[in-house]
Amino acid sequence: MSDVPAVFPFTEIIGQEDMKRALLLNVIDPGIGGVLIKGEKGTAKSTTVRSLDRVLPTRTVVDGCPFRCEYGRKDRYCPYCLEKLEKGEELRPVECRMKVVDLPLSATEDRVSGTLDLEHVLKTGTKRFEPGVLAAANGNILYVDEVNLLDDHLVDLLLDSAAMGVNYVEREGVSFSHPAKFVLIGTMNPEEGDLRPQLLDRFGLSLDIKGEKDVKKRAAIVKKRVEYDMDPEAFIARRVKDLESVTETIVKGKRLLPEVVADDSVIDMVVSVTTHFGIDGHRADITLLKAAKANAALEGRCTVTKDDIIATAELVLSHRLRRRPFEESGLDREELEQCLKDL
Amino acid sequence: MSERPVNLPFTAVVGMDDCKKALECALVSPHVKTVLIRGGTGAAKTVLSRSLSGISGKKVVNCPPNIGEEELFGGLDVEATVSEGRPVMRKGLLSRADGNILYVDDIDLMERSVLSGLLTATIDRDVVVERGPISSRYRVDTVLVATINPMDSDLSDHMLDRFDLCAYASDEDSREVLKRLYDFEMSPESLESRFSEEQEAEMKKIDRAARILPIVEMSDELLNVISELCAKVGAGIRGDLAMVNCSKCLAALNGRDTVTKKDVEEAAILCLPHRRDPTVQPPEPPQPPEEPDGQDEDGEDTEEPPDNNDNDRKDDGQEEQDGQDEEESRNDDEPLSMEDLEDMLFEIGRQFRVIDYLGSRTKVPSRTKTRKGRRAMAVSADGTGRYARSREPLGRTSDIAFDATVRAAAPYQNVRHSDQVSIVIEKRDIREKVRERRSGCTIMFLVDASGSLGVRKRMSTVKGAIMSMLRDSYVRRDRIGLSMFRRDSCEVILPPTKSVEYSYRCLEELPTGGKTPLGEALLRTEEYMRSYARCHVGENCFIVLVTDGRANVPLEEGRNANDEVQKLAEDLDSPHIGWIVVDAGAGFPHFDNAEKLAEKLEARYFRLEDLDADRFAESIRNVIDG
Repeated sequence: MSDVPAVFPFTEIIGQEDMKRALLLNVIDPGIGGVLIKGEKGTAKSTTVRSLDRVLPTRTVVDGCPFRCEYGRKDRYCPYCLEKLEKGEELRPVECRMKVVDLPLSATEDRVSGTLDLEHVLKTGTKRFEPGVLAAANGNILYVDEVNLLDDHLVDLLLDSAAMGVNYVEREGVSFSHPAKFVLIGTMNPEEGDLRPQLLDRFGLSLDIKGEKDVKKRAAIVKKRVEYDMDPEAFIARRVKDLESVTETIVKGKRLLPEVVADDSVIDMVVSVTTHFGIDGHRADITLLKAAKANAALEGRCTVTKDDIIATAELVLSHRLRRRPFEESGLDREELEQCLKDL
Repeated sequence: MSERPVNLPFTAVVGMDDCKKALECALVSPHVKTVLIRGGTGAAKTVLSRSLSGISGKKVVNCPPNIGEEELFGGLDVEATVSEGRPVMRKGLLSRADGNILYVDDIDLMERSVLSGLLTATIDRDVVVERGPISSRYRVDTVLVATINPMDSDLSDHMLDRFDLCAYASDEDSREVLKRLYDFEMSPESLESRFSEEQEAEMKKIDRAARILPIVEMSDELLNVISELCAKVGAGIRGDLAMVNCSKCLAALNGRDTVTKKDVEEAAILCLPHRRDPTVQPPEPPQPPEEPDGQDEDGEDTEEPPDNNDNDRKDDGQEEQDGQDEEESRNDDEPLSMEDLEDMLFEIGRQFRVIDYLGSRTKVPSRTKTRKGRRAMAVSADGTGRYARSREPLGRTSDIAFDATVRAAAPYQNVRHSDQVSIVIEKRDIREKVRERRSGCTIMFLVDASGSLGVRKRMSTVKGAIMSMLRDSYVRRDRIGLSMFRRDSCEVILPPTKSVEYSYRCLEELPTGGKTPLGEALLRTEEYMRSYARCHVGENCFIVLVTDGRANVPLEEGRNANDEVQKLAEDLDSPHIGWIVVDAGAGFPHFDNAEKLAEKLEARYFRLEDLDADRFAESIRNVIDG
């Protein structure tokens, strides 16, 4: 569609490897639970997230379903698909590209959750549900820029759906529920205020990114960007092959993921890492294991290794560390490696 | 033109060279989308911005800073929706600015989430609307010109970073300005015709520059210089990009197709001051300081720009420096040496210092004037917040509660006849939503850091209290800030924030000592919080004044500082701000200045003596919670 603005190609973003990895892991396994990207100004946070849109793979969904229910997952069908099945109608599969759905800060609560279908009411006098942003986000990536500025009541909505994968709507006389499983990606500038702990906890991965200090790299970044700005379409056209190969990697990774095995030694490693860093609860363990598996799949391997844990531990643990106030955030990589070595 | 001109022509505005340059860049380049103009009241910021229409053929669309999201980005057109029987979108102000210039005065008064949305939309040329039954995405191509008064509350670094260029409105010779305005007042037509040639030339210049711009080249060396410079002053990548775009514009405006050193230097003045990390000192002069010796190139570099600069600031630098530019460009064919780079860094650093100096000067309040008259509380109707219940609308509404409206219309359907729609809604059925929003508190600590007894302990207690209050502000949604006064001034050390980490960094080192300009501190902080309260509607604002109440720097020379403060306290009239006075006086003899001050401010009063940080925080909490 031409009215969707061009985005800077994913493959042309210099540096920020952790951020790119965190995003790709989430595409490969949406169960990881999204990523929170914190960072100072001008570090390509939004650019990178938006650029992801262009490399996302397709998925198989139910044809004609407004929520694009995943085809073949009866347990997760929306009321419409279930109704069709009950009536004996056949559901047909269709390929549909995953996308990045924007949640603007100015969104209203009713629009996000979905609300009364106004046109339907006005024309027929009967009530019907009008899907909202959460419906559009189902099976996709939901992106909130400046997530720490998001109003509390919207945060509550996100938390509810993110927790259950279902959006329950009880408003304006409409009672409805539909699947809303999405990968939540937030970017924020910590200076504008912190995130609510409940929301922070929802993010599977998090990372803190820093600006580029190396003058040569900066100049290279600027050169690329200036070239892009001159003619975005042509710039992208020259990178189509690169972009396609990223998509291919993702597709391969997704296909490989169910076959990735983590033996007991990996489980031991995961548990000892989280224990070492004093992290409560099992969510960190589960997420670390998922992330490590996804990382193996991303790199085309069927077995999880220590390196996968090293590559993902910081992403999983940094926002879960019990931090004494004012300590540098983040995980000490040396400490991590030492801890794994000791096993 | 038969219509009476309402605005001074662009070229007739006296001086303001940096601002003009920035605005010209925005007209020339599609990559310069946002321009911020900083300057005190009456610095002709608005006049200059409005005059853009005369040289660009674009409309200058005015956007009030208190605009709601619905009005700005678009929302539901209720009348059309009801009459057409389907949701119809009403376009926002932003779409009217498409292809034009959007002008926002006092942009710091804008709600942060609205401002963030506006900047994103302008820079990405893309607007996403998800409101009520409306889900839409449209493209918009506009230039955002915004002004900010540095005396008012400031924008955060991240917001500032998203302004491509930021120019400081320079002080101009008021006689010249007054004369020009008088001429315009008397006969706008004749003034306009007097400047018609210059306007013509200006338009040609912009037109030519826009044509040259796509072919303007920049050497890799200069690009490296830019990156070096940006890294040095602590700017993000947006700074580098803005520098590149701006230097190219400046080259094009001078009719050149190659960027020169001078372009880069000038661009730095427009691109970097607002992106600077304040803890990073401006680049120091190269060691040893170079004498303007026999080498004529060096002599030019170090001497000429200061002259230009002085012209800009003091006189109304009307004439262009074309001749000089040509001379400069001759030198620029030679490759850049390390020395050149250092020279440039120094030159730019020097100009930063000029800006800092101007900035600090504008921070002095004009005169002791307390504003009488109460400002009515603005009702927030921006459609954010939780839909709690519905009610019959108070005046016009765009926030329709459809369920309630339909319910209200239902009983009458039999008697209302219609053959097109199934439900007939009349005006009296319309209900609007009552939205509720959890409101928080903003607490500004105003601390006497002058060199009186026990200042260190006082500071550490206050710091401890701030941190302690912030730590549980997650739950309470409070923002806390800190201003301090010492020596001859009062400054905001920590703008109201919820971030523990950010405040920790700001509070790490608190200087103390010097005299006590209590009067100025009261005035400045009250003004700051008042403007803050204006853009954070619904927020409960408090000022916690920690002082012994004894002043020794009067606002007006020759007056008794203590009497002045007491008088000032009586005159201050801030209906939306609560005061708390914490008496920091210790030992004997105990003065009752602070107590009196509290009385005059109608403030709650307690004494700091023997309170530790946590108990201090607790006491303040208790006062705030009533």
